[in-house]
Amino acid sequence: MLARVANNLFWMGRYIERSEHIARYLNVNYFSSLDAPNEISQSRQFVLRSMLFMVGEPENDSKKKLNEEEILYKIGLDPEFSYSILNNVKSTRENANSARDLISTELYEAINKFYHFVLNYPAESFMKQGLFDFTVNITEMTSILRAKLRGTLLHNEVYAIIMMGVNIERATQVIRIINSKYNDALNAQGSYGDKFSNSYEWSTLLKCAESYDMMKRFYKKTPTSISTLEFLILNPNCPRSIMNSLNQVYNHVKVLDSSKKYNKNSTAFLIGKVRAEYEFKYIEEIEEDIQSFIENILESLVKISNKMEKEFFDY
Amino acid sequence: MVNTENAIFSSYKRDPNLNDEIFDKNGNVIEIYKKLLKLYGDHSINDYVNLNTKAKSSFFNQGITFQVYSEKSTQEKIFPFDLFPRIIAPEDWEIIESGSLQRSKALNLFLWDLYHEKKIIKQGIVPMELISSSINYLHQMMDIDPPGGIYNHISGTDIIKHTDGKYYVLEDNIRCPSGVSYVICNRTALKRALFGVFNHYQAHTVTNYAENLLDLLESVKPKGVDVPNCVVITPGMYNSAFYEHSYLAKTMGVELVEGRDLFVENDFVYMKTIQGPQKVDVIYRRIDDFFIDPLEFKPDSAIGVPGLFAAYKKGNVTLANAPGTGVADDKAVYTYMPQIIKYYLDEEPILNNVHTYHCSRPDELKYVLEHIPELVIKPVDEAGGYGISIGNRLSKSEIEQVKKQVGQNPRKYVAQPIMSLSVHPTYIDDTESFEQRHVDLRTYTILGKDKEFVLKGGLTRVALQKGNLIVNSSQGGGSKDTWVLKK
Amino acid sequence: MFLEYSISYKAQNSYENWVNDAHWQFLIIPEENDTQEFISVEFNNSINAVNQHSINGLGFKTIRVHPKQKFKNISFNASFKLIKKEVNPFGFVPSPDIEKDYERIHDLSFKVDFEPFLRTTYLTSLPKNNERLFVFNEEKSIFDNLQNLNYFVFKHLYFKTDVTDVETTLDEIIEKRHGVCQDFTHLFCALARQNSVPARYVSGYLHQGNGYFGDSQMHAWAETYIPNLGWVGFDPTNNLLTSIDHIKVAHGKDYKDCSPLRGVLYTSGENKTIHSVKVFSQQQ
Repeated sequence: MLARVANNLFWMGRYIERSEHIARYLNVNYFSSLDAPNEISQSRQFVLRSMLFMVGEPENDSKKKLNEEEILYKIGLDPEFSYSILNNVKSTRENANSARDLISTELYEAINKFYHFVLNYPAESFMKQGLFDFTVNITEMTSILRAKLRGTLLHNEVYAIIMMGVNIERATQVIRIINSKYNDALNAQGSYGDKFSNSYEWSTLLKCAESYDMMKRFYKKTPTSISTLEFLILNPNCPRSIMNSLNQVYNHVKVLDSSKKYNKNSTAFLIGKVRAEYEFKYIEEIEEDIQSFIENILESLVKISNKMEKEFFDY
Repeated sequence: MVNTENAIFSSYKRDPNLNDEIFDKNGNVIEIYKKLLKLYGDHSINDYVNLNTKAKSSFFNQGITFQVYSEKSTQEKIFPFDLFPRIIAPEDWEIIESGSLQRSKALNLFLWDLYHEKKIIKQGIVPMELISSSINYLHQMMDIDPPGGIYNHISGTDIIKHTDGKYYVLEDNIRCPSGVSYVICNRTALKRALFGVFNHYQAHTVTNYAENLLDLLESVKPKGVDVPNCVVITPGMYNSAFYEHSYLAKTMGVELVEGRDLFVENDFVYMKTIQGPQKVDVIYRRIDDFFIDPLEFKPDSAIGVPGLFAAYKKGNVTLANAPGTGVADDKAVYTYMPQIIKYYLDEEPILNNVHTYHCSRPDELKYVLEHIPELVIKPVDEAGGYGISIGNRLSKSEIEQVKKQVGQNPRKYVAQPIMSLSVHPTYIDDTESFEQRHVDLRTYTILGKDKEFVLKGGLTRVALQKGNLIVNSSQGGGSKDTWVLKK
Repeated sequence: MFLEYSISYKAQNSYENWVNDAHWQFLIIPEENDTQEFISVEFNNSINAVNQHSINGLGFKTIRVHPKQKFKNISFNASFKLIKKEVNPFGFVPSPDIEKDYERIHDLSFKVDFEPFLRTTYLTSLPKNNERLFVFNEEKSIFDNLQNLNYFVFKHLYFKTDVTDVETTLDEIIEKRHGVCQDFTHLFCALARQNSVPARYVSGYLHQGNGYFGDSQMHAWAETYIPNLGWVGFDPTNNLLTSIDHIKVAHGKDYKDCSPLRGVLYTSGENKTIHSVKVFSQQQ
């Protein structure tokens, strides 16, 4: 496979995953805030700030009054904002286009439909009443894409590259979501004796990662800071957890790098090392300093991505 | 009005001056179309409106599109597809196929001669100006023997059916002829929409193009290569024919590369893969001559491969088509085709040539300037239907404008009598009915080392605007599935 | 007589910003022919990139360099050693039948064979009103006419550096009447071709020991094809026939076919290139 095309496929995977997480974050936060148990969590300004924080554009001026339609447009359909869902979907298709000869017709058609859906979504109705419809469609369409990836591609190196993109992005987005909601939980403290550890925001966090039901089933308790973080970071059986993503990335890199030799400079080695580090962590360690944990894991993911670029995509 | 009980054709207006391919002069349906017309008659016009909409969105969702460039923006468009197929009878096809093949072979021998001894010029059969004034005649190609002796591996021949019922060639395209992917997509689309009609006709398949193309590419591998590694090179995804490039790579099962994926080391060509460099032996290139190597040709080409030409000259890689074929698809060369065929093959041309006036010859220039309303004026070196003026469509001031242009640069223009392309019933969106529209046919011929193949089918292009004779997709043309019937 | 030459070629390129991707092609290695015999060629660059020996489209030897690392400065050093044989440019039997020679050059077959060197290119295109700037006297031999043309060009233009560049066309050169060896050669080729004599542009090195014109970079002159004689070299910049002092590298239709250095690179900002050529000789 061409190195350039591999790079495009990797990013195609990342953009698919990224659009999904942004869409779900908008949806879950917006709609769960409507009947949140405390005033802060219910505040529209609070939710909008959280959305901006998640897409890496935090509003630092705490006095500024944010305009709901503007923020929704910016994150959803603004062609000028590089992190918008529209641009993610555009990039997905652009990357798919350049690798069209390698991916299945079925996958390509699904991506193409996805693209036309977003491109033609009327901005006016999205801002006024279409948020639910739009974001649900995005998450459903990305599910279709995941199914097409799994079901219509040969599970060879093409698949492995895309899935590495998907999983690295998943880990990255879940961490970003944790970061945002951790930030929200800190900010939402205080009213009604709602403590940080059993903040309403933890449930929202789990829903943002589509893991609320799984978590309830596993712990059979209301989510707390510690159980939520443990589940989303360390539980290897939760398909959205960092651990699960790392395991998948490791399995896929093995397809690309079949060498059995010990090579400390390879991507496979680095992924294995990062994975091993989290495999033997316990949550109390992490909870001591969540902020540095988040920074460290993001840094590790960037390192993996850079290493991949050097080893496989350098052209 | 035509003589048919058919509902969907009840409002079909037949112009008696045009050569309609499915109705004869008296309005009777031609034999091979009888069954088809009956089958289509089972549907109402509303069915067509629906089928047409569905076919369109199917093309759109599959991303079978091309880009249209205008000053403001680049738009993605589908190549309009017509649901009413064109049928070519076996005896007609025999002429078309053998004629296309004859021309491609003659052009190949012509190219070999132009880049070796140039006997045809020395003997005064074609004038020296054809090479001495052509920028497409590449001195770098002198005395190179391309593998298998093939220059124009892939040729596209544009053919029309005139009012006299005979087939005429309008153009030979031997640089990078495009459109073959649409031939196959049209077949697929028609099968999806109206599979029933295929039960009643025995049409040749068109899906065997890719395997034949790969076979051909492998046959012209460089010396000393056992199993060649073939690739398709594209200018990139913003090229208007990118869909076709990716389609061909995909169906041949070879890599689709861009210039930046390749590099040359010690005069061998490699592609950059995730497992490191991999040698490339045969390149089906969809990049024009002057862009293939910035160190040899246009230095500002960002889509080429530095050093590629040296690798080619050393015989370490095959380029298909060979560089320098453009000299022979010049419209001025076209006019000598009967002589060229006779000279190299000692045969009479099977397909007719349209008479051409060379504006470079003073007496013919005079005729042209005096008869512009009866002629089509074409620039000799433009593709895609650009720069063509059709005499009877011009206003007085436009005629003066054309006269001025031609007079200033006569070598740049040729003129031909206005040929009347045959017409074919075509579904028109705006009126929701079938109307007569002009059509042509592009055939695809491939030549390899001791191999030849003509795709049994071809691209029927339709001029969708009423009365328009220019069928190129960039000029608002559509296309039809084309059936070549088995004997 | 034989001379042993050592030639050194240097190019220093510096860029304001990092260059990440660059390709160069040098067309500077002397040709091997009847009068030039090779001893050695050395080539290196300052960043230790690989030097690939290859050919250009017309078959002349080239060196290509494609660095794999980014850089801001790069210099190239080449040195060649060769033996040049002296041939008396007048040591031929004058043509027995001048008329026949003219017939020959007007023959279709001849024209077809020499088509590339009879072709008008962008750089050898004469302005419309100057097509008859120099007309052959068919009473005299082709060789004599070419010698007169050589003298004509030498007199018509004034040697001056830095007033023209590699893109300057003949209309400007003829109007302003100045230029360097390239311009002299282009004018000579254009007028020879205008008179139906095949002429090719030659790039090479000039031994300047005798005070000849030709800057300290590469030199240019012309070769014309004369029936019965073959290719004969004329140096219109110095009004000379080519001799033991002219070391040929390559030929082509005009400068564009022979440019000593072609580069494709991606960078922004200012850049500077310094070339220098030194030619030393030693009698054998």
